[in-house]
Amino acid sequence: MRERREWLLFALLIGPNLFLFGVFTYWPLLYNFYLSFVSWNFLRPRKRFVWFENYVDVFSQAQFWTIVWNTVIFALFSVGLTLLIGLALALLLNQPLRYRNGARAVLFSPVIMSGAVVAVVWSYIFDPRYGLIDQLLGLIGLNSPNWLGDPAWAMPAVIMVYVWKNLGYAVVIYLAGLQGIPRELYDAARVDGAGPWDRFWHVTLPGLSPVAFFLSVTSILATFQAFDIIKVLTNGGPVIATTTLIFHLYDLGFVSYNAGEAGVIAIVLFAIMLILTIIQLRYLEQRVAYS
Amino acid sequence: MDQLKLTRRQMLRMMLAGGSVAALAACGTSPAAPTAPTDAPAAPAAATGAPAQVSQTGSTVTITYWGSFSGNLGEAEQAMVQRFNESQSDIVVDYQFQGSYEETAQKYTAGLQANTIPDLILLSDVWWFGFYVAGAISELDGLAQQAGLDFSDYEPVLLNEGNRQGKQFWIPFARSTPLFYYNKDLWAEAGLPDRAPETWAEFGEWAPQLLQREGNTLRRSAFVHPDGASYIAWLFQGVTWQHGGKYSNDDFTMTMTDPNTIRAAQFYQDTVRDLGWATLGQDINRDFLGGAAAAMMASTGSLAGLTTNATFPVGVGFLPKEANFGCCTGGAGLAIPSGIPDEKKLAAMTYIAFATNTEQAGAWARDTGYMPVRISTKQTPDMVAFFEENPNFKTAVDQLPLTRAQDAARVFVRNGDQIIGKGLERIIVNGEGPATVFADIDAELTRAAEPILEDLREVEG
Repeated sequence: MRERREWLLFALLIGPNLFLFGVFTYWPLLYNFYLSFVSWNFLRPRKRFVWFENYVDVFSQAQFWTIVWNTVIFALFSVGLTLLIGLALALLLNQPLRYRNGARAVLFSPVIMSGAVVAVVWSYIFDPRYGLIDQLLGLIGLNSPNWLGDPAWAMPAVIMVYVWKNLGYAVVIYLAGLQGIPRELYDAARVDGAGPWDRFWHVTLPGLSPVAFFLSVTSILATFQAFDIIKVLTNGGPVIATTTLIFHLYDLGFVSYNAGEAGVIAIVLFAIMLILTIIQLRYLEQRVAYS
Repeated sequence: MDQLKLTRRQMLRMMLAGGSVAALAACGTSPAAPTAPTDAPAAPAAATGAPAQVSQTGSTVTITYWGSFSGNLGEAEQAMVQRFNESQSDIVVDYQFQGSYEETAQKYTAGLQANTIPDLILLSDVWWFGFYVAGAISELDGLAQQAGLDFSDYEPVLLNEGNRQGKQFWIPFARSTPLFYYNKDLWAEAGLPDRAPETWAEFGEWAPQLLQREGNTLRRSAFVHPDGASYIAWLFQGVTWQHGGKYSNDDFTMTMTDPNTIRAAQFYQDTVRDLGWATLGQDINRDFLGGAAAAMMASTGSLAGLTTNATFPVGVGFLPKEANFGCCTGGAGLAIPSGIPDEKKLAAMTYIAFATNTEQAGAWARDTGYMPVRISTKQTPDMVAFFEENPNFKTAVDQLPLTRAQDAARVFVRNGDQIIGKGLERIIVNGEGPATVFADIDAELTRAAEPILEDLREVEG
């Protein structure tokens, strides 16, 4: 009797979430698998089953591998720079400085802004003829590169904006992590004669490893899904210089109306993220020092 | 958040939470693409002074109208809808802005799946055909007859585009053509005659006088091309014709590798790379208004917005010639979805008849710069007076009889516009050889045309 009541309670608590996940996550996931095997343009009444034709088409396009490479570069640099600069800034803002809270607020503000708005503003900043960056470079006698129009500069520009927008989040998480490191450890280190560098290396860094790990996992997943800034800033261009997998998915699905090939890209993305997360949980986490 | 000690369990919990936030962020709405011309408030649209007629108060039909106009174009469209709603009491039109032409088509596609479709929809030149082939828009001849609409007064070049096998599916409304725009101040500064160049060769001679360089950087270009997303393939259509080439034949065989088509692409590449007087910009209206480009080709639909917002006098002219003259039509028209009740279809057609009648077509043209779609509009006193005050607009309308409908590759092949546009970006930005790139594009267009041809055979036999 009691067991049944517990089951009922369990179902009641889990039910609504399970239903929402089922409708909005699991069903689309399964349906997408199906779509990747059909030829369909969203408009025709019939979906033609084509087995692996979409996969062959996608993988045999030369641009697909360029896009994979773009995605890797974007993820690597975005996450790497966010983690490193975020750490540096968090260490700085952890010092008893004046206006510290103000600085933290300023740093965090881009996080809550809309990506589209951020991208529009930056498109003016990047303009090679009247943009802010051009004006600043002009002061030291340099000319601005054609950030968004030159295939070599467009990706660095997108990465800069992405890191700028998301840095504040990393800083706040790092700061919380820093404040969670027990004072006694520093005192003990000091008693043992450890200098500032040793204290950083042997106390701060290991103490921060759980939050750094958390940030690396979530940031990587987020960069693979980064869309708004790319859409507004460069629209994947020039040519395909800033087209990442998620943008390619949008392009194939909602611009070319090729549901099947877009489905293939979604599967590829899903597989990459699954593998990355497993690797991170398996190997990276072994080096994390939980308290 | 001054204490953060993580256990493994907490860690996983946080990751799940973070992950779902990321997932939510990923499905946020796509940002509104910066749609066409300018977004500054326009001159107030014609006053709506006419008192609402009190007629038989029967049941009112409310219809939903999906459109793509924002900024001053959006205001002009709202004013049009308001005039209609106030002119009678049987039909209420509810205008709903959907984003760019592409986004409007996307939403209609999604709406067809979800069975939530509008009763009237604005579709651009590259979109209506796809919906026609899919059977998603209605044949309009019968409805037009019921609504008392006479097709004979419409500009034939514009009307015929929406006609398949003698039946009308798409009625011209916000139709445009490319136009050559120039900055009169910069023209005067360079000592050039106050007119658009007659040929590209002539413009090539003028261009060096319009440039402004600083070291290796081009501070001001003589001319600016849009990128693929901003419809470079539309503006390049006329240029291919001027060079004697074309994108495709009527039977959907592609002609991208025609030597003259390639010659046109070579010319485009040279303007940016060899000759160096043109650039490729993300927002050509911004470059033109900001003085970063002295001239451009752009839609007549930008005319009102550009004239209002420019700090210099704007000059316009016919497109320059090469081997011959070439200029295409473009813009958007109105269609009525199939699969809605007849009563709503007729109401939608009543609105179309209103929005494209002699007077309203004139008001819309004056507010925006789009072509008057009715022949008789040009003789109305309002229009004659407007032409006198705005010779630029007269130029745009005078060019209309010289234009023709675009090649199938751009308007009938799904995504053909973007396929050609990306190809031109490869040629101009990456500097790849036009022959190689257009061979790829030819193949890609041929592949993209296959399903359309298959469906077309089913629909048209």
